[in-house]
Amino acid sequence: MISRVLIANRGEIALRILRACRTLGIEAVVAYSEADRRSLPAMLADEAICIGPADARRSYLSAPALISAALVTGCDAVHPGYGFLSEDDAFAEAVRAHGLTFIGPPANVLERFASKEETRRLLANHGLPTIPGSGLLGDEAHALEEAERIGYPVLVKPSAGGGGKGMRMVRSPRELAAVLPICRSEARAAFGDDSLYLERWLEDNRHVEVQVAVDRFGHGVHLWERDCSVQRRHQKILEESPSPAMSAAGRRELSERAIRAVVAAGYENVGTLEFLVDNDGNAYFIEINCRIQVEHPVTEMLTGIDLVATQIRIAAGEPLGFTQEDVPQRGHAIEFRINAEDPEHDFRPGAGTIERFNAPGGPGVRFDTHAYAGYEVPPFYDSLLGKLVVWGATREAAIARGHAALNELVIEGVVTNAEIHRALLVSEPFLAGKFTTNLLDRVGGAAFLAGAVRT
Amino acid sequence: MPEPRPTGDRTPAQRRADHASLAQLSESLVPALVQKLSSSGLGELEVREGDWRIRLRRSNPAAASAPRRADRPRLGSHADREGRGRETTPTASGASQAQAGAAPAVPRRTMVTSPAVGVFRPDVKPGARVRSGDRIASVDLLGIGQDVISPIDGTLVEVLAGAGDVVEYGEEVAAVESDVTVETDDAPAADDAPGAGGEASA
Repeated sequence: MISRVLIANRGEIALRILRACRTLGIEAVVAYSEADRRSLPAMLADEAICIGPADARRSYLSAPALISAALVTGCDAVHPGYGFLSEDDAFAEAVRAHGLTFIGPPANVLERFASKEETRRLLANHGLPTIPGSGLLGDEAHALEEAERIGYPVLVKPSAGGGGKGMRMVRSPRELAAVLPICRSEARAAFGDDSLYLERWLEDNRHVEVQVAVDRFGHGVHLWERDCSVQRRHQKILEESPSPAMSAAGRRELSERAIRAVVAAGYENVGTLEFLVDNDGNAYFIEINCRIQVEHPVTEMLTGIDLVATQIRIAAGEPLGFTQEDVPQRGHAIEFRINAEDPEHDFRPGAGTIERFNAPGGPGVRFDTHAYAGYEVPPFYDSLLGKLVVWGATREAAIARGHAALNELVIEGVVTNAEIHRALLVSEPFLAGKFTTNLLDRVGGAAFLAGAVRT
Repeated sequence: MPEPRPTGDRTPAQRRADHASLAQLSESLVPALVQKLSSSGLGELEVREGDWRIRLRRSNPAAASAPRRADRPRLGSHADREGRGRETTPTASGASQAQAGAAPAVPRRTMVTSPAVGVFRPDVKPGARVRSGDRIASVDLLGIGQDVISPIDGTLVEVLAGAGDVVEYGEEVAAVESDVTVETDDAPAADDAPGAGGEASA
């Protein structure tokens, strides 16, 4: 039983969690930093409490400040949102140790899925295909042998950490021999561990992910897939469902394999399994996100299921309360991430005061945002201002609503990336459903915008 | 606040000029300003002349400009449910202490804010002399006391939170008055910090 939740996050997701709490009849306290005093969630909450200065390390990333805030405001649960401490097993454990419910997977589950390499092995054992790769590399001869077996091009990856450090794509044995010492020294410098492994490089891939929900009693459902192939420098910009890259049978098979594997591996609560899909439609598991995701509204539009409310109910120990047959994939939904960044200047993030503001509306249109006229966008956090989500009976209908909604959107005073979405909706690869994760970076954001204006 | 400029970069002549203008300010200007402040209902008044700036601040805590919890705007039907927030009650009619005493006697009040979100535990009682850096209270953060430090030398005149009260980060919990009656600093108007001139508040 949860009766009062501390929302340990900010921006649109804090507002989204607040709305889920209200729907469930649960009180919500928003923890905010000094920079977010005048934010919409802080103003709308049942109670709001300042936890620290603008610097996230002393506010949204401070476990003691968040837990203290939860205790002194009489909360019995903490919702971490996404980012910040949402997948931190030590935070989840500290929350539990103070007698509070962590709204997400329990600490031991977060710990089990914390390492990407171990998670891949664990879920491969439970039937998920992973990208062909090597074990840890020995000497140069061993690396060349493994690369030959996997097939070029291959990606050299450090087994510890991420973020692109120590990572190189190579197309020949000579390139591989040249980068091995570089990758080792980068990995050693960044992670204190120079062990490397190889993975097959998928040239033109799509990013497809499967949403799952599993209750404490091991009852799990999938909520179908989302296609997040429109990316810029590994940041998702636009997400849609169903994936135009997969057949109905392929989507069903992938979703069913995903939910079987995570239930068998002991996952709990809401989560997402990410896959890369190659040109032939083969899907390879890459990682699991043990949290609510930015793009979850896409799934909510198609299924009618409130994923944040589901998170809270599962954390409270309730059974899921619905079965796979209750999860439709109805129509088509597209989400546009509206960021405070300037597409004309290499997507440089911006800050400032929103002077004029209009949220799009109408049938099949949802805009999750914490922005309002007069809102001062602080420069300290990520640039996401809101998520414009449109639904239509078909992909074409959703795209038409996307056009209409983007034209209604008014944000003045702060530069946004809305222009890139208008360009996407008239671009040939997007309309044909053939967007790949590397397309925007290959073409370049500015060139893409310019090309779209011409057509 | 602007960084205090080191005084070492001035010539003796400049320093003499500074002292002369300061003397002129406090003798001729301050009494007039005190009069103006007490009749205006403003919380603070600032005047600049040459390289000098003089600022008078009313001792009424309601006139303090730092944000209080009640300052956060509230929306929606739950706006009035926050019972713990103390309302700031502006008392524009309150005469400044300077009016009653000798002309330039405007005590300088500095608000002390909470370093953490937690439970307040006072250490020092109002009326006590404190020095800059002294602990005057603590805020219990998961069982670990976070020191509430006096930022100036002076007298602890008020403790705004009670023992056991919940305080949030940055909340004003105490007031310290310095012995300096008139605050002056050498901030040339040209490179003035934002906000320094616009703090006059009712």
